[in-house]
Amino acid sequence: MKKAFAGLRPWLLQRLTAVFMLLFVLFLLAHFLFDPPRSDAEWRGWVLSPGTSIVFTLFFASLFLHTWVGVRDVILDYVHPAGLRIGALALLGSGLLAMSAWVARILLFTPP
Amino acid sequence: MQISVFRYDPEKDVKPYMQDYEVERQAEDRMLLDVLGRIKTMDDTFTYRRSCREGVCGSDAMNINGRNGLACVTTTRSLPDHVVLRPLPGLPVIRDLVVDMTAFFKQYHSIKPWVINDDPAPEREHLQSPAQRDKLDGLYECILCACCSTQCPSFWWNPDKFVGPAGLLMAYRFIIDSRDKATEERLDDLNDAYRLFRCRTIMNCTEVCPKGLAPSRAIEKIRLLMTKKSV
Repeated sequence: MKKAFAGLRPWLLQRLTAVFMLLFVLFLLAHFLFDPPRSDAEWRGWVLSPGTSIVFTLFFASLFLHTWVGVRDVILDYVHPAGLRIGALALLGSGLLAMSAWVARILLFTPP
Repeated sequence: MQISVFRYDPEKDVKPYMQDYEVERQAEDRMLLDVLGRIKTMDDTFTYRRSCREGVCGSDAMNINGRNGLACVTTTRSLPDHVVLRPLPGLPVIRDLVVDMTAFFKQYHSIKPWVINDDPAPEREHLQSPAQRDKLDGLYECILCACCSTQCPSFWWNPDKFVGPAGLLMAYRFIIDSRDKATEERLDDLNDAYRLFRCRTIMNCTEVCPKGLAPSRAIEKIRLLMTKKSV
């Protein structure tokens, strides 16, 4: 595996996903301010509409990638024994994958 | 002044302890190093490194009231009446304020601190314009005192893998030297999870550098260079 995969790319990814998430939060706040959903059905309809559901998907992808880089950094800093480090990273990775699957299920299979 | 000093003699002591000395401020005591010299006359078992006494050799780097600095350029006037002196944090203590700098120098050597240029040798010297030479300002002045690296929490947690602010500053010094032709290799060498990227821009390094250098700025410039080359 190329070393660069572990160096510059996660650092850049963390910053790009941070910017995207900030813009998403502003977008969501603007929606709540100017066109707040009046019922659960309206909320679902909006989130599951084609454009918005894609934006939400990108947001969760950004969130989980950002979390992966951040918590991985903490593990690399403090967990020194290699076996323990691999275990901790595996736990983190599988936790984030599981949450991604959960989000995918919600966005794909919730009836509108 | 009351000076509390970290004392540890591995041949005599089971564990380190702090020892207090009462020193009267005198007109001739301009710098902390002068005061240390007077403590030495009171107690000659007290051990510390010193050499140039003018802030260019880096020998007397130590932790003064929690901040790393050079004893020979720290004025007594800038110090409160109670001073706590400890060795540089994070490095193994050999005795009293003397630390083992091996890990620090290992990282420095790992960045290949020499100009790499395998082109045929020029008739006289490698030419460099004043503008190219200006780029080295703020980088070549490093005296390798280790104040920066030993104040960096990322270096404390991984001194064997993270190059540290001093090493990275010197790496940048060679990266932007127009006479050096190994830029790609130098950037590749630093581009992994540990060598440069343990840096979180905590910026303790820039805050404590006794020569007024900015390792965090050099590190950011390396990151920008890496980014430009990769996109």
